[in-house]
Amino acid sequence: MIDTAAVKAQFPIFNQKTPQGQQLIYLDNAATTQKPQSVIDAISDYYAGYNANVGRGSYWPATSATSAFANAREKVRGFINASSHKEVIFTSGTTDSVNKVVNKFLLPDLKHGDEVITTEMEHHGNFVPWQQACQQTGANLKVVPLTETGEVDYEAYEQMLTAKTKMVAITAVSNTLGTCNDLERMIRGAHAVGAKVLVDAAQLVTHRPIDVQVLDCDFLAFSGHKLFGPTGIGVLYGKEALLEAMPPMVYGGGMVKTVSLDQTSFADLPQKHEGGTSHIAGAIGLAAAIDFVLAQGIEPMHDYTQSLMHYAEDKLRKTEGVTVLAAPEERASLLSFVVKGAHPHDVASFLAEKGIAIRAGHHCTHPLMQHLKLPGTCRISFGVYNTREEVDSLVEVVEEVRDFFA
Amino acid sequence: MNDRLKALYKSQILSRSKDDTRFFELEEATHVLEAYNPMCGDQYKLYLKLEGEVIQKASFKGYGCAISRASTDVLAERLEGKSIRELAPLISTFQALIDPDSEQPVEEISTEEALLAFAGTRDYPERKQCASLAWDELESFIAQL
Repeated sequence: MIDTAAVKAQFPIFNQKTPQGQQLIYLDNAATTQKPQSVIDAISDYYAGYNANVGRGSYWPATSATSAFANAREKVRGFINASSHKEVIFTSGTTDSVNKVVNKFLLPDLKHGDEVITTEMEHHGNFVPWQQACQQTGANLKVVPLTETGEVDYEAYEQMLTAKTKMVAITAVSNTLGTCNDLERMIRGAHAVGAKVLVDAAQLVTHRPIDVQVLDCDFLAFSGHKLFGPTGIGVLYGKEALLEAMPPMVYGGGMVKTVSLDQTSFADLPQKHEGGTSHIAGAIGLAAAIDFVLAQGIEPMHDYTQSLMHYAEDKLRKTEGVTVLAAPEERASLLSFVVKGAHPHDVASFLAEKGIAIRAGHHCTHPLMQHLKLPGTCRISFGVYNTREEVDSLVEVVEEVRDFFA
Repeated sequence: MNDRLKALYKSQILSRSKDDTRFFELEEATHVLEAYNPMCGDQYKLYLKLEGEVIQKASFKGYGCAISRASTDVLAERLEGKSIRELAPLISTFQALIDPDSEQPVEEISTEEALLAFAGTRDYPERKQCASLAWDELESFIAQL
């Protein structure tokens, strides 16, 4: 059971009023989550208490920083159940992780006529990099269509898989509709034709526990800031053999064994892929965020935010003039809706005036908007600090907006 | 609903955002300007029929929020019969009206109700780009002439 008041008290942002004098009702957790004091403290403790670069210093505080950085990687490893810390590469975020796989894993071997499969619901971060790689090489980008309920058309997907399929890039959860995809099925299908799979787990991290060994995905990417952690830090998980075979993602300091005038040998995993000074504070903050999540429990958080989502979905569906988009079998704790006669940005502005933060627009999913034939949607996404009363306030203002624009 | 926001969307903007008088594709257009905000997806085509430097007809088509649609409508309405070279003062008047950093009282900038209706965006800097979308596009078009 989640004690919302106690949890919310850990987030200092809620200790103030909005410029309009309202309590902040934050329903944009799919864009980024708020940060608990423990994460803020972990970052400032590092800078104030033991700031140093990691890896080489033989002095204190470098030793403390190095060990905190290693502990952060171990924390992430445990969080996704990777079999080794060598499989955890720190990046700047999901998009960076995807780009690194595209550039260093896929592109070197991608040829004219090869195929890459993705879906119509992808965030641009897991769409544009693959599209560009295909355009550069003459490979074919195949995009799996969606069904009427907003789910991946699995049969269409399975028919698209061929011996030419090199890569499948899929999101675990649609950041616009909330649809949860059957990753096991899609990964099994891809592996059956010898394709590798990257999972965009940006929206999955707060929804379900992740076990990369059970999933059997080849790569998995997520960002710290959607997990109550800081911005600028993300993770790329990759199977050890694949990361081992890949050329370094970034060349520079910290990723070498020896350098001479005419050649360089590279460090072992994971340092091989992390040239330059890492975002040490970010990694330490991410570790604190994982501690926060584990202290609440992913399952209890999931159950709680799911109950809010269902409550909101139910109420919005009963609200005249409001349409909730998609009806997937499993929906993460976020949903999109539109209000008849009112553009999503106008809806969001009215809500903002009441201190209610929602996202309006295309949510970086242009292909999905084209599929839905909509210029944008209103999206609400729940966090552990939201309440039913906040949903009630939302629906009340949505009704006012609808009447105003009618 | 609070007065500030109501003021912003006052009947001017609401009614104009639903007005179809100038909301059509102009087949005889000599110039088609595309105003697009990739951040939010608002997208309008502004159709101009120029004879020499004089705009004979103007219309627009596209989609976006109430503010962007109304502001494009107000713009199109003001273009007909004007020389393209004499539009700069009108555009800068509008830009000053919606500028959240401007110290000048809005009533000193314009007395036209249709334009003043957009001054409310001064309190909503994130909506300034909605109000200025088509105006900015026209400004860069003129700059390239």
